[in-house]
Amino acid sequence: MLDLQGYGPRLIEGAGVTVQLAVLSLLLAVALGLLTATAKMSRNWFLHRTATLYTTLIRGVPDLVLMMLLFYGGQIGVNAISDILYYDFEIDLYINFNAFAAGVLTIGFIFGAYMGETFRGAFMAVDNGQIEAGKAYGMSSGLVFRRIRFPQMMRHALPGLSNNWMVLLKTTALVSVIGLTDMVRVAAEASRATHEPFVFLIPVAVAYLLIASVSEWIFARLQKRYDIGFGEH
Amino acid sequence: MAATPLEVRNIKKRFGDTEVLKGLSLEAQKGDVITLIGASGSGKSTFLRCMNLLEQPDEGEIILHGDPIRFKQTRHGREPADWKQVVQMRAKLSMVFQNFNLWAHMTLLENIIEAPIHVLGISKKDAIEQANALLERVGLTARANAYPAQMSGGQQQRGAIARALAMNPEVMLFDEPTSALDPELVGDVLKVMRDLANEGRTMVVVTHEMSFARDVSSQVIYLHQGLVEEAGTPDEVLGNPQSSRLKQFLTPHY
Repeated sequence: MLDLQGYGPRLIEGAGVTVQLAVLSLLLAVALGLLTATAKMSRNWFLHRTATLYTTLIRGVPDLVLMMLLFYGGQIGVNAISDILYYDFEIDLYINFNAFAAGVLTIGFIFGAYMGETFRGAFMAVDNGQIEAGKAYGMSSGLVFRRIRFPQMMRHALPGLSNNWMVLLKTTALVSVIGLTDMVRVAAEASRATHEPFVFLIPVAVAYLLIASVSEWIFARLQKRYDIGFGEH
Repeated sequence: MAATPLEVRNIKKRFGDTEVLKGLSLEAQKGDVITLIGASGSGKSTFLRCMNLLEQPDEGEIILHGDPIRFKQTRHGREPADWKQVVQMRAKLSMVFQNFNLWAHMTLLENIIEAPIHVLGISKKDAIEQANALLERVGLTARANAYPAQMSGGQQQRGAIARALAMNPEVMLFDEPTSALDPELVGDVLKVMRDLANEGRTMVVVTHEMSFARDVSSQVIYLHQGLVEEAGTPDEVLGNPQSSRLKQFLTPHY
């Protein structure tokens, strides 16, 4: 039944690409988001400006355009580096700027900007007295972050985070334009070849729904974990 | 003679155009209980918060055991030159806050062992042992695994005092520790604080509790608009106030 006119295994492979792409992009986006939020709250003029430029730029340019810019630009950049290596150091190294890496970088980069705002709001929601207590007991700012600000911030960040994740998951469908074979691309190819689009698109829609449901369950558990002590649930 | 545990000299602080501290000094010898009293807005809480640098004083010195905190001038005003020094200094002065500020995502026991483990580097086993003794002392053994949100204000504040004691501090700073409590809960907290005073803890206490100030202080300082108006023993300051302002301030309390 899962044979789907011979396209079944490729669709499953494509689903694997989608999930890997989405999870790796999420990790990158969370890391960038934390950095952006910290930079935006910093008193350092340069950090603040850089972070603002980043969020403005990313949020104002369509995802698809950014993805193509990074993919083609990335290959040009990598070529330039391997040229330098070859002519100046006689190291012969051809690096193929791979579509998967380009996909992760672009999506992570785009969603890092949205995560940045989510985290910034969440950090501001943490009671300042809790942070002062950490400082007053001799905690360094790193320790205060790890033990107090981060765990208390997560509770406020999770609703926005899970929202961003759902959008991110669906944005991965765009990578087919840069040649990555995710499940949407497989389904599109199969539809064209067989003239039976629903046979392929409906399973794809169901697969997205399935991933989304699993993530909702995970986020609900995380929320419960970070709500401990706050008298909810 | 051992150096003075905490000495602050000529602290000045302004918020925008308002000068809230106009040159305040204080010297806490071992075993001293110094109470700071005054109307709201007199600067007593800000003064206390300058002592552990939760507020940055614009001028003045803070000296722990003869070791002065080093400052530098930056574009944002005066700042500590070495934050590591500040972090080490804060570990020796534990603060009890008006709003308790127990960490909401940790149980009471976790609150008490947090800084001893991560700041002082005590083993978890020793920290728990010590915490249990402190919980017994403040009468909260049964609440060890409760989260702050599940405790009454009085319990939270006694828990916060246990958290402060777990640092084995040289000086304890109390910032209006009973002001956020329901009247019937104040007594338990004050009793714990009286015990601490009697066992020779060095304490600096911002308070509105005049009977506490009278009974346990070695020195009472009355602040008015960022300046010391009167200072001395409780008998002198509370028993025989000189200025009309202090007389008026004390009247409603008797």
